[in-house]
Amino acid sequence: MKFREVFRFELAYQLRRPWTWMFFAVLLVLSFMLTRDGTLAEALYEEFFVNSPFAVAKTTVVGGLIWLLVAAVVTGEAAARDVGTGMHPLVWTTPISRTEYLGGRFVAALVLNALLMLAVQAGIVIGVYLPGIDAEVMGPFRPAAHLTAYAYLALPTVFVATSIQFAFALRSGRAMSGYLGSMLLLFMGFFVASLLLFSLRSLGMLLDPIGIRFVVDDMSHLWTTTEKSVRLMELEGLILGNRLLWLGVGVVTLAMTWLSFRFEHRTERAAWRWWARRREAHAPVPSGIGGAVSTPTIVPQAARTFGFPLHARQTLAIAWDSFRSSAMSWAGLALLLGLPLLAIPVVIDQMVGGAAPLVPTTMQVLEELTAPVTSELSRWIIIPLLSIFFTGELVWREREAGLGEITDAMPGSDWASFIGKLLGIAMLLVAFLAAQMMAGMLAQTILGYSEFQVALYLKVLFGFQLPEYLLFAVLALAVHVMVDQKYVAHLVAIIAYVVIILAPMFGIGHNLLIYGAGPPWSWTAMSGFGPNVGPWVWFKLYWAVWALLLALVAMLLRVRGREGGTGVRLLLARRRLAGATAWTAAVAVGLIIAFGGFIFYNTNVLNTYRTDAERTRLQAEYEQRYKRYGDVPQPRVQGTQLNIEIHPRRRAAHIRGTHSLVNDSDVAIDTIHVATAPGMTPGMLTFGQRAAALILADDERGHRIYDLATPLQPGDSLRLDFEVSIQPRGFRNGGVDASVVANGSYFTNSSFPAIGYQQGRELIVAGARREHGLPERPVLASLYDAKAPLVRAGRVTVGAIVATDDDQVAVAPGRLRRTWTEGGRRYFDYSADADVGMEHGFFSANYAVRESQWKDVAIQVFHHPAHTANLERMLRAVHASLEYYTAHYGPYRHGYLSVVERAGNGTGMHADAAMITHSSGFALWSPREGPGNLDMPSAIVAHEMGHQWNVPPAYVEGLPVMSESLAWFAAMQVLRASYGPAQLRHLLTFMRQPHPYPPIRRGEPLLRGQDPYMSYRRGPFALHALTEYMGVEKINTALRRLIEKHGSGEPPLATTLDLYRELDTVAPDSLKYLLHDLWEVNTFWKFEASEVSARQTGEGSWQVTLRVNARKVASDSAGVETELPMDEWVPIGVFARGEPGDELSAPIHLQMHRIRSGEQTITVTVSREPDLAGIDPHHILDWDEGEDDDNIEAVKIVR
Amino acid sequence: MELKIEGVSKTYPNGVHALKNVSLTIPAGMYGLLGPNGAGKSTLMRILATLQEADTGSIRLGNIDVLAQKDDVRRTLGYLPQEFGVYPKVSAEDLLEHFALLKGIASRSARREVVEALLRQTNLWEVRKQKLGGYSGGMRQRFGVAVALLGNPTLMIVDEPTAGLDPAERVRFLNLLSELGEHSVVLLSTHIVEDVSELCTRMAIIDRGEILLEAEPLRAVHDLRGRVWRRVVSKAELPAVEREHAVISTKLLAGRTLVRVHADASPGPGFEPAEADLEDVYFSAMAGRIGRRRDQQEPALAS
Repeated sequence: MKFREVFRFELAYQLRRPWTWMFFAVLLVLSFMLTRDGTLAEALYEEFFVNSPFAVAKTTVVGGLIWLLVAAVVTGEAAARDVGTGMHPLVWTTPISRTEYLGGRFVAALVLNALLMLAVQAGIVIGVYLPGIDAEVMGPFRPAAHLTAYAYLALPTVFVATSIQFAFALRSGRAMSGYLGSMLLLFMGFFVASLLLFSLRSLGMLLDPIGIRFVVDDMSHLWTTTEKSVRLMELEGLILGNRLLWLGVGVVTLAMTWLSFRFEHRTERAAWRWWARRREAHAPVPSGIGGAVSTPTIVPQAARTFGFPLHARQTLAIAWDSFRSSAMSWAGLALLLGLPLLAIPVVIDQMVGGAAPLVPTTMQVLEELTAPVTSELSRWIIIPLLSIFFTGELVWREREAGLGEITDAMPGSDWASFIGKLLGIAMLLVAFLAAQMMAGMLAQTILGYSEFQVALYLKVLFGFQLPEYLLFAVLALAVHVMVDQKYVAHLVAIIAYVVIILAPMFGIGHNLLIYGAGPPWSWTAMSGFGPNVGPWVWFKLYWAVWALLLALVAMLLRVRGREGGTGVRLLLARRRLAGATAWTAAVAVGLIIAFGGFIFYNTNVLNTYRTDAERTRLQAEYEQRYKRYGDVPQPRVQGTQLNIEIHPRRRAAHIRGTHSLVNDSDVAIDTIHVATAPGMTPGMLTFGQRAAALILADDERGHRIYDLATPLQPGDSLRLDFEVSIQPRGFRNGGVDASVVANGSYFTNSSFPAIGYQQGRELIVAGARREHGLPERPVLASLYDAKAPLVRAGRVTVGAIVATDDDQVAVAPGRLRRTWTEGGRRYFDYSADADVGMEHGFFSANYAVRESQWKDVAIQVFHHPAHTANLERMLRAVHASLEYYTAHYGPYRHGYLSVVERAGNGTGMHADAAMITHSSGFALWSPREGPGNLDMPSAIVAHEMGHQWNVPPAYVEGLPVMSESLAWFAAMQVLRASYGPAQLRHLLTFMRQPHPYPPIRRGEPLLRGQDPYMSYRRGPFALHALTEYMGVEKINTALRRLIEKHGSGEPPLATTLDLYRELDTVAPDSLKYLLHDLWEVNTFWKFEASEVSARQTGEGSWQVTLRVNARKVASDSAGVETELPMDEWVPIGVFARGEPGDELSAPIHLQMHRIRSGEQTITVTVSREPDLAGIDPHHILDWDEGEDDDNIEAVKIVR
Repeated sequence: MELKIEGVSKTYPNGVHALKNVSLTIPAGMYGLLGPNGAGKSTLMRILATLQEADTGSIRLGNIDVLAQKDDVRRTLGYLPQEFGVYPKVSAEDLLEHFALLKGIASRSARREVVEALLRQTNLWEVRKQKLGGYSGGMRQRFGVAVALLGNPTLMIVDEPTAGLDPAERVRFLNLLSELGEHSVVLLSTHIVEDVSELCTRMAIIDRGEILLEAEPLRAVHDLRGRVWRRVVSKAELPAVEREHAVISTKLLAGRTLVRVHADASPGPGFEPAEADLEDVYFSAMAGRIGRRRDQQEPALAS
């Protein structure tokens, strides 16, 4: 009965509070918008129903996240209102049990929160059914989609969050502490779960209370498009475990809250001061209190100062007080100690690329420690959120302590309080960043690295990161002062933050419109901070003045004393807007106009600014207007001659070039379609001496049409002379074009004119195509499209004379013919002796050049002088690759090879014809030496070298398989041949990890494979399986034949069908089934060994018995799985005790056995004492190695 | 130094008319503002302490316009609100020093001296290192006094300061105030008549936003001398007495009722003359026997 009354009163009380309804409205509106924009724009090439179970689940998770951030005070009020208002002595002395009291309050909060989360579902439904949505992406209404999302995702999250918020608020007696509970959960989802993502994936998924990992991350990656449209989320496996775990956490929290709660007077000692020395139980009583006054003490007349000196002192005093009180709170301790301590393992964990450690340079570490405030879903999202919390606490500090009237009646301006509190927050953030710096250095030290770049730490953390945080802190502070209602202010500040980070989603892209935004800064070893510092500073100055104005408005509206009414506040504001304040406001407005104007002049006048929508529209119009010329015969670019002047110091380059065109069609051509770089006015464009009339110049969309005075006859050729200037004018919204910089210039031919309609410029996203009335278009043409392969491979000859400053080295495609210095500039003459691909890059930097020779191939490595650590490794891999590939796949097509480093922190490599480029990060690989460790960089070099033997593939499904799978297969053979079979095993083990490409079990078969899992994983696995059954030589023969037939680039170009045909030719009839299983259908094998035992039968003879289970399943593109009967050869292995770190290094039995579906027993006899045994021990067919390999078991020796 | 309040009115958004055309002249010295709960005392005090706006009227402190030159007022102001709290985790010494700085005592040594003197004066010196969270109500109140006394205020506003004090502390505190009253305007609001009668040279009685009486306590008592009569009546008689006489107050005394009435001459048998005190002045003013309320009623009766 009493329980019911407590519950009823609480529910009724909170339902009458305005903020409860504001939370509801905010959740409703945000999930509406997420449904309308977020879910639609979700995946680039994917399209699924906006109301599919997956979409609903995603929005529910994000809505839950927002609920967690904004609505914690509902629970906080229920738990802490009595103490907060001082009502508790009245309530706690009524004859009520703590179960009734806590239970009623908690259940009321739970019910309220559950109701609030209904707003998310309502928002989704409204988002789907209100007019304005594309009917194509609307599926049938499925109540189950909403029910599962609400029951499996929303409710458990609400339960655990409510119980934690309740515990925090009840303990502290302050409703706001509920937010700390929220932040703890958020921290688990964003920080801890992501920390464990790489190494312990399933644990990471279990530990995410919100669903960011297992819905937004995992399902997004693992579910096929069809599944995303139709599949219902099931409560099983990790998801079930996760939900149960967090329900359990909620229950335990509740139990602990119940057990530790007492109806008793609250004392002031903080919990963490339990060690504090015990004092008298009674309040201290001073001696000498008496009736009459003895001789009164004389209070000295102290000199007092007012005006600026006082303000300055007051400001500092308030700043120090604010800093101290924030830093000494629980949240402050978490910020200054907890986060930096946790950052150490995060940094250590992240200093790995692929399978090998990276050198933890300062920039690598800093990349883990910093993130712009505007970036969504970064792990440092917690800092702006904590800023909101801390500013709220500070703004309300005096008033909540009951000192508000006393301090408000003190002399001094309003600025002292505002600036003092801002400074306090600033000190807190400085302390945090200093702690982050220590954490970074500690992580470096732990990793054995000691070349700390302290100056870089200081510049990045305090020069770039601190202003980001500070700008946001001003906003948060101003919001709290202006709104003057703590909960509502909190809500408004969070919404402001959400709007800031999601602005691009709402169609706001210009940094002049997103508070605190600006172009990104970067630092690379080669280019330093680069040209973007200037624009960054301009934007931040602009926003800093906005922040000043915001602070000013907040100050004008600040409530001092009792007058909280809007009318009075406005009246007071008008009165306060005088003197220095008015001048400051005027100056701020003036500066906003000045800075904003200057930025606008740069981004929108000197440069063209286009919104995403405009760009999409232009792309659509390009297709609508010019696709009709796609089939018109056009001359082909045969070769290009270039004269390039690079001026690194001026950040400019000038290119004069000539395409030589040839008409290899069988008709005369009188109209030439030139594709220019969209949005760029090309310089001179002429056809040599030939007269040609420009009849259309659409430079906005990048299309020109020329009419030749005399048609170009079949077989005839023609030259197209062009000029292109790279010269940044001012800066753009995204910063300065960094293609030409003081050191580390890099640009490609993408700004040069091309011939004919460019299919690559077409829109791909289905929704966008529909919106612009374009017909449907697959990403890649069907594998069975007979027309698509009938084109000639895009290959040209390139010759380039590149000039640069005399202290730099320029690189272009081709072999360096000669180099000379003239007029203080260095000239480099490159020319390619065989055709290269259509994409080529040009470089200029202060390179060191390492030369090497393999037979008649000249190898040049252009590298940053300091980056020498991996040169030998790289060259060894290049040599080994040339050795193996020329022996097995045919001659290398070029007499030279260039390896070029680019400015950048990534670790990846990229291959073009006879040129391999990589970012500076590649130089930071530092694989562990010794057995058991994969030499990842060498494997990658071998892979990029493998690309040199790729046949030019047709632009159809299976294209990435043709390039990436074959290049990886080739690299695997180099590893096996030159680095030993153990390296190959390590590479395969690495590839079988679910990161970065988790296995996709459903979808198209490998022949039509497009996604990274197919091309980087299933393809190599399939080819590797074939080598185990047929031998490497047969596969190499097939690949060599493929190259012989299709390497020339003459139409028809090769597809996976051609590859399959060659494999089919070399495969014996007995293995055709395997070829089919691997390539034509999506087959998965699942093996398991159990009950492995051995008995010694004689001297040097053991009989090993294995119980194995085998399954074979095929899944179609919709995800339907079919069990296939199995009766085929599978390897069975028995191993003696191997070397440490490489358990399978001593096989004593490794043979094919005939295996059927289901359970069966295998018996083998071996000559040494067995240690491990299993089925498919090297995972030739069963590619799921998992954390606990169930293919292999330890052998039990039976006496 | 003189505080001059003229025609100040204040109406709250919820319609409560807290102050109605209040005019007072408050000279240096202790001034008592006496009135029942909800009379508008605190509103007036907060307006004087720059924390609230008046709808109409003007207030001048010497030559400072209190309503406009807020910062100038704050420099000479000592304010002890009716209710206030403290930071529980800060020591008295630290917080007082913080406030001393906010009040403009810039020099560190001067600040130390002032803080020490005030803590001694308020008898908190021995507990200065303790956290304020552990203070008793009276100690907290004395701490508030110390804060208000910082910077030698010429305008001291204390809102019901004696409510939480034990008798000894109350005496001590009132003595402190009267010392200050030698040079400054000290405005003391209270609903306890003794506070005023013992200390204040001048006083005003306020009820429902209106000043009922402005007087010197001694003189007001003197004026009432000979007009207060008392009689002990039974419960049954009381309604009749109340009907027939101008009753100032009634007190229950061992089951009987002691009635005090206001009359220029003996109101009748059974009544005996009583010594007038300030309480009689207060109740008479409240009941409209004397002061403004009577002045307003009389014309109405005459017509």
